[in-house]
Amino acid sequence: MSLALELVRSSLLAATPVLLAGIGGAYTYFANVFNIAMEGMMLIGAFTAVAGSYAARSWVVGLAAGIGGGLVAAALFTLFAVALRTDEFVTGTAINMLALGGTTYALRQMFGVRGAFMSGQIQAIPRWNLPLGPVLGGHPFVVYVALALALVADWHIRRTRFGLRLRAAGEDPRVLDAAGVSSQAVRAWSIMISGALCGLAGAYLSLGYVTLFAENMSNGRGWISLAVIILTRGRPLGILVMSLLFGLFDGIGMSLQGTAIPAQLTQMVPYIATLVALRVYSLRSRNEH
Amino acid sequence: MSRDSENGAPGIQGIRMSGIVKVYPPDVLALDNVDIMIRWGTIHSIIGENGAGKSTLMKVLYGITPASAGRIFLDGRQVRFASPRQAVREGIGMVHQELMLIRSYTVWENVVVGSEPAAPLGTLKQAEARARVEELVTRWGLNLDPDAVVGDLSVSAQQKVEILKLLYRDASVLIMDEPTAVLTPQETSELFARLRQLNQAGGTIIFISHKLQEVLDISDEITVMRKGKRVMTAANEGLSRTDLARAMVGRDVVFAVGRQRSEPSGRGGTVDVGMKPRDAGSPAARGDERPHAARPALEVRGLSFTRPGAVKPALSDVSFDVSRGEILGVAGVEGNGQFELVQCITGALKPDAGSIRMDGRDVTGASVMERRRLMCSVPQDRKHTGSAQTMSITDNAIMAHHRLRPSLSARWRALLDPRACRGFCVDLMRRYSVVAPGPDAALAQLSGGNQQKVIVGREFSHDTGFVLLDNPTRGLDVGSIEFIHRQILNKRSGGAGCLLVSADLDELLALCDRILVMYEGRVAALLDGETADREAVGRAMLGLELSPEPGPGPGSEPEPEAGAEPRTEVGSE
Repeated sequence: MSLALELVRSSLLAATPVLLAGIGGAYTYFANVFNIAMEGMMLIGAFTAVAGSYAARSWVVGLAAGIGGGLVAAALFTLFAVALRTDEFVTGTAINMLALGGTTYALRQMFGVRGAFMSGQIQAIPRWNLPLGPVLGGHPFVVYVALALALVADWHIRRTRFGLRLRAAGEDPRVLDAAGVSSQAVRAWSIMISGALCGLAGAYLSLGYVTLFAENMSNGRGWISLAVIILTRGRPLGILVMSLLFGLFDGIGMSLQGTAIPAQLTQMVPYIATLVALRVYSLRSRNEH
Repeated sequence: MSRDSENGAPGIQGIRMSGIVKVYPPDVLALDNVDIMIRWGTIHSIIGENGAGKSTLMKVLYGITPASAGRIFLDGRQVRFASPRQAVREGIGMVHQELMLIRSYTVWENVVVGSEPAAPLGTLKQAEARARVEELVTRWGLNLDPDAVVGDLSVSAQQKVEILKLLYRDASVLIMDEPTAVLTPQETSELFARLRQLNQAGGTIIFISHKLQEVLDISDEITVMRKGKRVMTAANEGLSRTDLARAMVGRDVVFAVGRQRSEPSGRGGTVDVGMKPRDAGSPAARGDERPHAARPALEVRGLSFTRPGAVKPALSDVSFDVSRGEILGVAGVEGNGQFELVQCITGALKPDAGSIRMDGRDVTGASVMERRRLMCSVPQDRKHTGSAQTMSITDNAIMAHHRLRPSLSARWRALLDPRACRGFCVDLMRRYSVVAPGPDAALAQLSGGNQQKVIVGREFSHDTGFVLLDNPTRGLDVGSIEFIHRQILNKRSGGAGCLLVSADLDELLALCDRILVMYEGRVAALLDGETADREAVGRAMLGLELSPEPGPGPGSEPEPEAGAEPRTEVGSE
């Protein structure tokens, strides 16, 4: 297979976790929840997915556990930021720290390993050999789910009753409350949706992208998602495009690893690309004024 | 709109609220055993000063605020509303004083949100929703485009969207909380026509206001509230403003805090307040007038400002003078540049072009502190700009004085003398009749009227020739308004030039020597305060007529009085 094909294939794989978390974050973006906990929710999801898959020797359980882990983290975020009205930024930071420390601790306690946990007992997410050609075919099925979810979320946010209320809750919660719909409930829903999708992203990382759990394996993807959401103003189709771009640069970074450039520099490529994109965006939005 | 009322005996057909008590912990009694009966098909006004409890009573009825005690009956059937949604289900709807609309949504989206027609999976039935909204617009002649984005609409059109929301939910009782506060006279009469139309179709309208004339114009029945109690309910026959005001305030109120214009010649300069003559040799001085006094308190020339990112300028080529001993009013529908004008004068905004002179000194680029030596200012936003709510009355009273008044300092200028500050505050509270637990109480503990008295007292204690007033009586009760109006007039007769920006036309017409009307950032008209009426000001506010642009010739003076305002220009070079 040619190098270019391999690059595109790998970029699709790398884009998926960013895309999934980004779609989840689009919901909180429209509900005007400052959700910086995506990184932590993804990491927790990655861990619980591996734990579930290992314990039950079933990828179905693993996937469910991953989503469940994200939901638990989201519930915690909801409890504090929505029900108890703590600061979203501080709460999100706390959850990120809890996720990193907690999964590292649990990794050592439960599996007695440091760094990474690998086992033949962990069941990976199956690949679908869809007849879609060499680039699109043969990926873990979550990749296809993620692509479909981008379309579903776009419809859900723009065209449904929930979407109308979601955007209203974000723009002026008092209006929604006055209309007899609890804006708090809508905000809570948006966080739970983002938690489920971040958990799914985590499960994909640890059961699809690779089949292991490593400390801090989300490795900033949740933050990249946040940047992508801000960049695209939360539009799911925009998030789809930007995630694929991120994946592409991730793939370029990977393929540069064999060259003379130090790995530390090649690993920076996707993040530098994100910074450049943010700068281009800020220039463009300034010109609009 | 009509409502069947077969059940229940005659005489109890309508909404009856009985023994309503609302206590805000720890000890604020907002509603004190209020009984009120609103009959179907009437326009029932509830009036009272701020804090009288009229809005609270309606919030109880609408299910926003739970009552501490009391019962609500519809046609004799007891109901209990835990949320607005339940009130809406019984056909009761409320238009809040602050409009509750999503600005980025279209009219139809705003109308349906919360009660959307939806197919399975929650898909919006857009066509159906839009058609229903359009049908209501046509039936009630509301003249709205269902697809217009609400943020682009005028305030009065937005209010129509609010009414539309209630009609969409089949409300037969409309609670209107101070709906006219944001409207021009023309828009108000349009609203009244609409309310009468709804009323004739069988609707019941509860109209909350503190504008007495409006209440007399529209109501069938009037309830007056004072300090959480219902003082009276009467049919609107033979009632006068004086009757209502007496019931509201509990004493007689003098309406004619009139201008008692100082004679025209005096306006230029007979007055001066301890101003040192600076250029005594000026030949311009006539008679015994001191030369500096002939200088206008404020000269604004060619002021232009465009907000970053905005297409239309907020201010465009605004020029006017405020003479000493004059109150110049600024009228206009909110958002036509008044706010930016005020901000340019205070120094909060830097204008793109033009100049501002105070007492003859160019302050266009001056810092706020430099300006404070020449002007004092009562800001629009009492809570945020005008005061620090959690700080004590003393701290609030000495703001700006602490820099400008050496008597407040101890031996070192950098240190304040607490005793002097406290004394200054006590004196201010006495002179401005501030009712408060004491000078150390937090400002937030005071009623709105008393807070405003502290702010007005603080500002008026500055001995400056120019006074800027931005909606100084907004949201205050009749008694406080009367007091503050007197203070403004005192300031004028003391020789200060006042610029009074106000959304309240009655206030402008009662106090101002001249009224400048702003429309889309321009001076649309400059009217004589004596001869101007609501109609003329209202037309100019809507941009329907621009005053004739005066040329340089002497015949084009807006005021014929001999040379009283030689420098006045109306929005032209």
